[in-house]
Amino acid sequence: MADSYEKVAGQSLWGDAWKRLKRNKLAVASMCFLGILIVAVLVGPSIIYWTTGFTYDLTPAEKEMVRSFPPSLQHPMGTDDQGRDMLARVLQGGRISLMVGIISTFVSLIVGVSYGAIAGYLGGKIDNVMMRIVDVIYAIPYILIVIVLLSVFGGPNTPHWIQWLSTTVGGAGNQGLSQLFLLFFALGLVSWLTMARVVRGQILSLKNQEFVMAARATGVGTFGIVFRHLIPNALGPVVVYATLTVPSVMLTEAFLSFLGLGVQAPYASWGSLADIGIKNLAIFPWQLVFPGVTMALTLFSLNFLGDGIRDALDPQTRKF
Amino acid sequence: MLRFILRRLLIIIPMALLVVTLTWGLIRLAPGNFYSGEKKLPAAVEAAIRKKYGLDEPWYKQYGMMMANVVRGDFGDSLKYPGQSVNEIIRRHLPYSATIGILAYFLALFVGMLAGTYAALKQNSVFDFGPMALAMLGLSIPNFVIAPVLVILFAFWLYVFPPARWGGASSLVLPVVTLAAVYAAYIARLTRAGMLEVLRSDFVRTARAKGLDDRTVLFRHAFRGGILPVVSFTGPALAALLAGTVVVEKVFALPGLGDIFIKAVLNRDEPLVLGIVAFLSILIMVFNLIVDVSYGFLDPRIRYE
Amino acid sequence: MLKSGSNRATVLLTVWLLTLIGSGCVATGSNGFFGRTQPPARNVLRYVSGPEPETLDPQLSDGQPEARIQMALFEGLVEYGPKDQQPIPALAKRWDISPNMDEFLFHLRDNAKWSDGTLITAQDFVYSLRRGFAPETISRTAGLGYFVKYSEAYKSGLAFVKKDGKFLLANDADAVDPRRSQRVGPETEFNTFIRSPERLTVEGDEAKRAKQLAADPKLAEAVNGAEFVPVTAEDIGVEAIDDRTLRITLRQSAPFFLGLFAHQFFRLVPKHVVEKYGKNWTRPENIVTNGPFKVKEYRPYDALILEKDPNYWDSANVALDGIEFFPVEELSTMMNLYKSGDIDAMQNHAIPTSWIDEIKQYKDEYLNFPEMSTAYYAFNVTKPPFNDIRLRRAFQAGLDREALSSFRKVTQPLYDMSPTGVFPEYDKARQKVSEAKRNEKNASEAEWSRYGKFDLELAHKLLAEAGYPVTKTAAGYECPNFPTEKVSILFNTGANNRSIAEFVQSQWKQNLGITIPLKTMEFKTFLVQFKSLDYDGIAQLLWSGDYMDPYSFLNLEYGKTNEGGSGFYDPKFDKMMDDANLELDPQKRYETLALAEFYLMEQVPVVPLTVNSTSWIKKPYIKGMYPNPGTLIPWKFVYIERDRAKWDREVVNIMTTPDPKVEKQLSELTSEQKATR
Repeated sequence: MADSYEKVAGQSLWGDAWKRLKRNKLAVASMCFLGILIVAVLVGPSIIYWTTGFTYDLTPAEKEMVRSFPPSLQHPMGTDDQGRDMLARVLQGGRISLMVGIISTFVSLIVGVSYGAIAGYLGGKIDNVMMRIVDVIYAIPYILIVIVLLSVFGGPNTPHWIQWLSTTVGGAGNQGLSQLFLLFFALGLVSWLTMARVVRGQILSLKNQEFVMAARATGVGTFGIVFRHLIPNALGPVVVYATLTVPSVMLTEAFLSFLGLGVQAPYASWGSLADIGIKNLAIFPWQLVFPGVTMALTLFSLNFLGDGIRDALDPQTRKF
Repeated sequence: MLRFILRRLLIIIPMALLVVTLTWGLIRLAPGNFYSGEKKLPAAVEAAIRKKYGLDEPWYKQYGMMMANVVRGDFGDSLKYPGQSVNEIIRRHLPYSATIGILAYFLALFVGMLAGTYAALKQNSVFDFGPMALAMLGLSIPNFVIAPVLVILFAFWLYVFPPARWGGASSLVLPVVTLAAVYAAYIARLTRAGMLEVLRSDFVRTARAKGLDDRTVLFRHAFRGGILPVVSFTGPALAALLAGTVVVEKVFALPGLGDIFIKAVLNRDEPLVLGIVAFLSILIMVFNLIVDVSYGFLDPRIRYE
Repeated sequence: MLKSGSNRATVLLTVWLLTLIGSGCVATGSNGFFGRTQPPARNVLRYVSGPEPETLDPQLSDGQPEARIQMALFEGLVEYGPKDQQPIPALAKRWDISPNMDEFLFHLRDNAKWSDGTLITAQDFVYSLRRGFAPETISRTAGLGYFVKYSEAYKSGLAFVKKDGKFLLANDADAVDPRRSQRVGPETEFNTFIRSPERLTVEGDEAKRAKQLAADPKLAEAVNGAEFVPVTAEDIGVEAIDDRTLRITLRQSAPFFLGLFAHQFFRLVPKHVVEKYGKNWTRPENIVTNGPFKVKEYRPYDALILEKDPNYWDSANVALDGIEFFPVEELSTMMNLYKSGDIDAMQNHAIPTSWIDEIKQYKDEYLNFPEMSTAYYAFNVTKPPFNDIRLRRAFQAGLDREALSSFRKVTQPLYDMSPTGVFPEYDKARQKVSEAKRNEKNASEAEWSRYGKFDLELAHKLLAEAGYPVTKTAAGYECPNFPTEKVSILFNTGANNRSIAEFVQSQWKQNLGITIPLKTMEFKTFLVQFKSLDYDGIAQLLWSGDYMDPYSFLNLEYGKTNEGGSGFYDPKFDKMMDDANLELDPQKRYETLALAEFYLMEQVPVVPLTVNSTSWIKKPYIKGMYPNPGTLIPWKFVYIERDRAKWDREVVNIMTTPDPKVEKQLSELTSEQKATR
């Protein structure tokens, strides 16, 4: 009986949510923007290369061209200090920043949510131990972890499987990309901590409510209660917090680039582009404006989409 | 409740020691040491250093010596800045970071909760999207961008605040605003979400049905539950703010702990790193305890066994 | 309810903004200078010297930021000259040098005092040097002073070997070198000992000695049955002949050594305070100094406030009432503080690259002069592929350094190990050697101007010879054989390293068709890889000289375990360097050194990139402050000019424009020393 109830509920929840989401204009616009952005980021660099020959790392051969030019027909976003096309760099940087954002959010959703939910629901000693582990990981200096990671996995001592992965995915000679895997690992390591805390807080307040008791009374197991009943009801803050994770992760990535663990030059990310751009703000404003605006728009849409999803998942929302 | 708090307080000490141990291990794993530099050290000097700091001893002995000191609360002298003790450095620079941090915290709380609540009350109106867009702006602009922009605006166009350095109340404005911006944005977003959740719950509807006016419903009933997600966020946030934030301290050349800490890690200044980590971990755990306790007060549905 | 609140807030905000804009209008403009240009109300210089100093103890620190601060607090025998950084009299009013440049006799001033009023004597110097060389003193720079006889042996805890009542000698040939006997100053018992042929030294510690002897049977035989006498502080080559006369003896001739006495390691520390307070002697409440300024207040990471010391022997000629040192690391923050008029001057290479075009317009403030430092890419010559000299040459020829330096905006291209434009006499010697080599190789002027520089044809030819033929394609060049996965350009996260690496990468990509991956690392991690020669291919080093002599740079590739980072070792080069140091005539010595450098550059252990620039700014009212090659500023020459008419205005070259006040002060200071010559 419990089984059939869940099946129906599940379908109507997601189906309903999708319908409601489609009615939210802002969310739809955001979705469109993100879609276009993803396509642009994926195929844009190749199109630019075929039509104009510019790439993210192409420095012009002429000495006089190796400097920052303002936007023009040829370079819609101008060029950077080395005379490289900013549009190509922003698109290439988007690949990395989006990948960083998606992967970390994914980790924080999977690990953080289930960890927090289990701790919150089980409570007592288990909760205590689980949350203290989070405290400890949170308290260990992050940059120290990163430095050690870099020395163990970076350089000539990199394990073969990482090297294999990077040459297979990144193409031969793209050593810069092997660092990316380390980067994802380093970001994933910490991105779930606060999420776990937020979810646990929510679960604590939900677990004594009537619907949980009802489920328990009907014989639903711990796993079922946590993943079918508690988590869906805590999704609002979870979605909001997930959208908050993306910008903070993108900025952490910029900070890690500083330590030598982020993307390796000549690759760029939005964070590292903004970092360079701000130093040149007074003289070459386009170096900050274009990556900055692209990043801001992306985060805006992510956020409105997140709100839309939150509202859509909330059965009590009344749309007008 | 009291027993719960007491138990949690007692466990903080062994936890901090665990964090110190792990950190110590990581420093030892990290390449290089505090005395390695561009210029080669004369062999005799290197030998003298190793002897002085007991680096020739087996690792378990070094660990034992370190722990013996840490348990006594004595972290010894900084390696990079000889003649300055770690405790002294923390004591001297904590007030700087704490001043900026607490000011920024309250500014962020005030602005964030106000905007978040307001937006939740006026959901899907201009008053919702406006503050939320602003909050999103605060979130999506990194603080290393906000700070210089503020400096250009207020130090060079308007000439109202000094561009950097510690000195007087006016020098605090720009760093505090920079620091608060991100947190305010976070808090606004979380408050809005939390409030929306609560405003639709049964007890708020009941309260409204009883004929209570908006203000009472908001502050007596909804607010307490609505800021729950904010609370679990701001606990660790306050701890992090107190210990200083690197970017703001760097850009504004402030003598805070955050920048000192990062440099200590980059310099492999072991005692200083351990000292700050121990201090910081205790701080984080105490604030998390406060958060957990306040859950119980804010939401009567949460109980601790 | 919330509405009324927001209305009030709006009103408040509007008022606040209006106030801001109002006060903004009052702020003054700049009349052709960068930012606010107003001399400070007090007669105090506000200066940024870089990061927080590690310590105020001159013998324990090694950085430039510390050196600048210690120049204000402590004085040594000589001081760096304001413009050329050549030694000028300080606590020593004059000196004599032995004919073969291995002994210095200093005559100290009668009126030099510590800041607590205690008189300074020659014994203070003896104490300071012995302290610096003591095995337990953790002095990072002690190695610079190893030329002082037996100092290295003392520092390393070695022992003399006494056999049959006589000390064994290090080198039998040394005993018959006639030049050894020419002392400067009176004959004393100590001097007879210190000038006697160098004694043999072995490890003082028994366990270490056993190991040393086991590895060297010949030595073991020689010292068999001997008595071992530890080298003590009393054995090092420093002697107080009387209260006012000091003699320092080196183990070999070192013509550049006089300049080293201005280094912080050789500055004086107060015996009576160091012994009383131990490691706490530099705390502001304990510290006693002997420089033109003394500590008034110290707030670490915030400000170090110095005031003029009335006990300083030359305090009548100290123009400033005090100096405030602010620790700042962010370059843009430094610029902001300068722009807002909160500081008057700053450390070297302080201008962020992107600001340079704007700052360059302020000619009276911007100081762009060659610096005593170089940037180069080291090849790892111990590993393939760069153990092949043809490849190293090819990569050197494939890099257009003219383009690199014009991209960097402030630097000059560099084709040698030591910087050009910093040692004028050496530059002449280098020119001469180059000319001689051209004749030797029968090369035309045009050919010679390309020698060792950008030469694409040569690069391609060499690559092909090494087995990596370069083919021309529509887009440029291609070199498909080259093992790019085996190499990378390694650099640390320092300021401009990334943009240099990107530029060089694109150059080699365009010119050779080879894309070498880039690798950034945090400094300490970088150091481990660099020093252990663990890196693949190429790594960047930025080197600043310790003393005003090209030897400070050429030494990088000298010996088996050198600091150059290439793993380069060539006995022939070492021999040439040794020859140069035996040369007593300065000009001839330079020529011998230039010859060695020419030989070194033909081996291409490194690709020199640029001579760096001082690149900093100072307010036009700050006078007596010059961009010397190490930006080491003798503070007593600095003054604040309040008469606007006398500010730096349309100065063509600040180094050659005489400032009557500074010239007078300088000539008074050096007159006594000049008279003895």
